[in-house]
Amino acid sequence: MLDRRQFLKLGGATAFATLFGGCDKVQRRLIPFVIPPENYTLGEALWYASGCDQCPAGCGIVVRVSEGRAKKIEGNPLHPVNRGKLCARGQAALQALYHPERFSRPMKRSGPRGSGAYAPVSWEEALSLLMEPLKKIKAEAPSSLLMLTGPMRGHAGLVAGRFMKSFGSPNRVAWDPFGPDAMLSANAAAYGVRDLPEHDLANARYLLSFSGDFLETGISPVHYAREYGRMRGDRETIRGKFVHFGPRLSMTAAAADLFLPCAPGTEGFVALGIAHVMVRDRLTAASSAAGRLADDLGAWSPEEVEKKTGVHAHDIAAAAEEFARNQPGLAIAGTTAATCADGAFHCSAVALLNVLAGNVGKPGGLSFPNRAQAFAKYGPEAGLLSPSPESGYAGTRAALEKMRGGAFRIAFLSGATNPAFTLPPSLKFGEALSKVPFVVAFASFLDETTSLADLVLPVPTALETWGDDLAPVGHAGAITLRQPVVEPFHDTRSMPDILIAAAKELGGEPAKALPWGSFRECIEKAYGGPGGEMEKALQRGGFLGEASSPRSAVRTGGVSLPKAADRPLEGDPKAFPLALHLYPSIALYDGRGANLPWLQEMPDPVSTAVWRNWIEINPKTAAGLGLAEGDGVTVTSPSGKITAHVAFNPGIAPDVAAMPLGQGHTKYGKYANGRGENPISLLPAGETYALQATRVALVKTKLSTALARTGHPEGQWKVKNMM
Amino acid sequence: MTRKRTFAALAIALLPALLFLAGGLAAAAETVPQPIAYSHKIHVTDYKMNCRFCHSSTNKSQYANLPSVEKCMMCHRTIATDKPEVKKIASYWNEKKPIPWNKVIDLPNHVYFPHKKMVNAGIPCLTCHPGMDRAGTAVQNLEFGMGFCMDCHRKKKVSIDCWTCHY
Ligand code: SF4
Repeated sequence: MLDRRQFLKLGGATAFATLFGGCDKVQRRLIPFVIPPENYTLGEALWYASGCDQCPAGCGIVVRVSEGRAKKIEGNPLHPVNRGKLCARGQAALQALYHPERFSRPMKRSGPRGSGAYAPVSWEEALSLLMEPLKKIKAEAPSSLLMLTGPMRGHAGLVAGRFMKSFGSPNRVAWDPFGPDAMLSANAAAYGVRDLPEHDLANARYLLSFSGDFLETGISPVHYAREYGRMRGDRETIRGKFVHFGPRLSMTAAAADLFLPCAPGTEGFVALGIAHVMVRDRLTAASSAAGRLADDLGAWSPEEVEKKTGVHAHDIAAAAEEFARNQPGLAIAGTTAATCADGAFHCSAVALLNVLAGNVGKPGGLSFPNRAQAFAKYGPEAGLLSPSPESGYAGTRAALEKMRGGAFRIAFLSGATNPAFTLPPSLKFGEALSKVPFVVAFASFLDETTSLADLVLPVPTALETWGDDLAPVGHAGAITLRQPVVEPFHDTRSMPDILIAAAKELGGEPAKALPWGSFRECIEKAYGGPGGEMEKALQRGGFLGEASSPRSAVRTGGVSLPKAADRPLEGDPKAFPLALHLYPSIALYDGRGANLPWLQEMPDPVSTAVWRNWIEINPKTAAGLGLAEGDGVTVTSPSGKITAHVAFNPGIAPDVAAMPLGQGHTKYGKYANGRGENPISLLPAGETYALQATRVALVKTKLSTALARTGHPEGQWKVKNMM
Repeated sequence: MTRKRTFAALAIALLPALLFLAGGLAAAAETVPQPIAYSHKIHVTDYKMNCRFCHSSTNKSQYANLPSVEKCMMCHRTIATDKPEVKKIASYWNEKKPIPWNKVIDLPNHVYFPHKKMVNAGIPCLTCHPGMDRAGTAVQNLEFGMGFCMDCHRKKKVSIDCWTCHY
C-alpha cells in the first residue's frame, strides 16, 4: 500500500508530467569544457581591462568574462579618458565579437569583384597567395604596394609604418571621414601647433560651441560628456553656461542654455562676428592680437554676419559680451563645422576666439599636451605611434588618382572606415580599385570595401587582440594596453601579426625592421614584458598614471584673420531650396556600427527613429511641401538622388534638411543592408571632404517601408503649435 | 466563510507548486544513466582522491563544477587506458567533444545554495552527499527538503532567516 509520502510523490510526478510534459525547459545536461579557459571558476566572473576601438576616442574598458565568455563591457574607472563611463557604441562591441557574420577563416574571391562571393581557404594557402605577388613586387617595384587603413595608433602603427618603409613603399595612406585634418591645420595656424588640444571643460565658466556635438560624436564623446557634466554641476557656486550655434537641434544643442541656429557651413562667420564685437568693444585679453586684427575684422559686424548666417546680430553681440566677461571660457568647433568645404577656415575662426579671450594655456581653457613624450624613446618614429599623422582626404584622393593610373599592383585595405561607403560615390573608389591587380583586405566583416578584395584575411575583434593606444584627447599622457579578454573565437590573425610574419618571409630589410615573433612579443618587448611592470599595467588597463607636462611653445601672438574661401553650397537655391546638413549618427557613427542590432535598435535621441534613415525638416517646411511625419521623399542634389522618410524637427531652420550618416549599406550583412540609402551619395567630390556641401530638393514619394520610432512625435511636441 | 474561500483559493493556487516540489523530490533517489560509467568509489575510496581535485571550484564558487575532459585525461593518458570506460573518455578527448553528463542533483530555482559557503565553513562533502564515496555513477541518497537544511542551520547556529536561501 502506498504511504502518504509515496502517494504525494506519485501524484506529484503525474501532475508534473501532465502540467509540464512536452515543454521540458529544465536543463538536464551538464556539459563541461573540453579544455577550460585560463583562470576559470564556474559561476565566478573575472574583469579584464582593455581598450575600446569602436571609434577613435580610445576609451579604456573593463570586460566581464565568465566561463570564458565576454558578457558585459563597462568603462575602466581608472582610465583618464572615460573614467568608468562608456558610450553605447562601446557597449555594442560585444555584438561584434559574437556576430554570426564574422569572417571565421581566410577567404578567396570566387566570383567577380564586388559580388561578395568567396570560398574559404586555409591560412597556409592564403599566406602563399599573399606572399607570392608580394615577393615579386618587392623585387621589381616596391612602391607599387599601397596600404590604405584607418588611422593607426600605438605599436600597430609602428609595425605598419616600419613594414612599408622597409618594403620600400611610401604609399601608406590612412582614411577617416571624421579625421581631424581641418582642426590640425587650424591649430597650426592659430596656435602654431599641429596637434589636438585638451579642453579643460570642467573648469570653464562659459562654453561656446560651433556645431560641436561633443556629447554625441566628435573626437571623444565620453570624455567630453563627463567633463561637461563637471562644468555644469561639480562646482559649489558656478554653473558654466553653454551656448550652441549650429544648423540643427542635436542632443548636444538640446542640452545648451541657448541654442542659436545658423545655416550649415557658416559657423566660422558667426565666430568672426563674435570676434568683431570683442575687438570693437575692447573685450579681449590679448590686446596685441586684437590691435592687429581690428581692421581685418571690420567687415564682420554682427549685422553683416546676420545676413550670412541667420543668427540675429543682437544674439551675436550678447554672446560676445558674455563670453569675454565670463572667463575662463572655451570656444570649440565640432565635426560638422570641420567637415564643411572650408573646414579649416571655420576651425581657425573659432580658434581665434580662444586667442582673443586669452584661453590658451590656462585652467578652464585649452592647452596642448606633449604627446610625443609617451613614445619619446622611438625618436623620429614616435609619430608612427601617435594618432596617425597621415590620415586624410587629400592623401586618399591622391592615392585614388594613382590607382587609376595603374601605379599599384597590390593594395592592403584595413580598418573600419570603409572608403567605398564613406567617400562620395563620384570619386569612384571601386572603379579606381579595380585597376589594382591584387587587393587584400584585413577585415572581420564583409562590407562595401572588403567585398572588392581578392583575398580576405580575417582579423580578430578588439576583445581578442593585443595592442596599445594613445587616445587623441583626455589621456593625460596615459598609454592604454589592450589584451585579449577571451580566447579568439575564430581562426583569425591580427594585421600586425600578418605583417610580422610576411616580413620574416621577405627577409632582408623587412625582417630586420620587424624583428619580433608576434605582435604580442612586440608589445611585451616595448613595455617590459610579463611578470614586470607590464603585468601590473595590464591589470589597470595600461600605464595610466603618467601625466605629461603641457607643451610650452604655443604661439598665440602671431595670429591672423583666417581667409574665408566662402565656397557656396552646390546647387541653385531655386531648384534646390534646402541646405543639406549631414552629421555622424550617435549610434552608427560613420556607418561602422550599422551591422550591430543593438545600435540599430537604439532610438536616436532627437528623432527617436530606429532601424532606418530619415531626413529631418522643420514642420513649417513640411507643411509647405505637403509632407507629413513619416512620409517618403526623394532627396535630390546636383550630384545624386536618394529616398528617405520625413521626421519633423522643429529645432531646425526652415531652409535646412538634416540627415544622419551610417545607413544605406548594401554589403554589410543582414542587419545593415537595405535600411534606406546612403546620404553620402548626394555629395559632390570636392577638394576637401565636405559633408555640408550641397543643397537638396524634396519631392513626396511612396516608399514600401515605414519609419519606425519609439515615441509618437505628438508626445514630444505638438506639431500644430509649431506651424 | 470568507476565510474558507480564501484558503481554498490559496490551495488551488499553490497546487502546481506543491506538485512540482513533490515531483522534484520523487526524482531524487533514482539512478541516472551516464554516458560514461564513472565510479566515485574507485577514485575516492580506493585511490583516496580528494573530491575537490575534480570538483575544484567548490570552495570558490556557488557551483561545484565538473572536471573538464582535459582534466580526466591528465591521468588517463597513462592510467587504465585499456579499460572500456576510459577508452570512451579518450574518444571524447580525441574528437575534442565535451562529455554530456546527466544532471543528478538539483535544487529548485528559488533556492540559493552556494557550495563555497559550506565548504569554507568546513562542512564535509559527504554531509549532503552521503554514500557518494562508495557509489558508482553519481547518486543522491538524501532528499533536500527544507527541513534538512534547517536542521543543520539550527545545529550550527547559522542564520535561518528566509533571505539566507530564498532570494
Ligand atoms: S567614445 Fe568611442 S572609444 Fe569611447 S566608448 Fe564610445 S566608441 Fe568606444
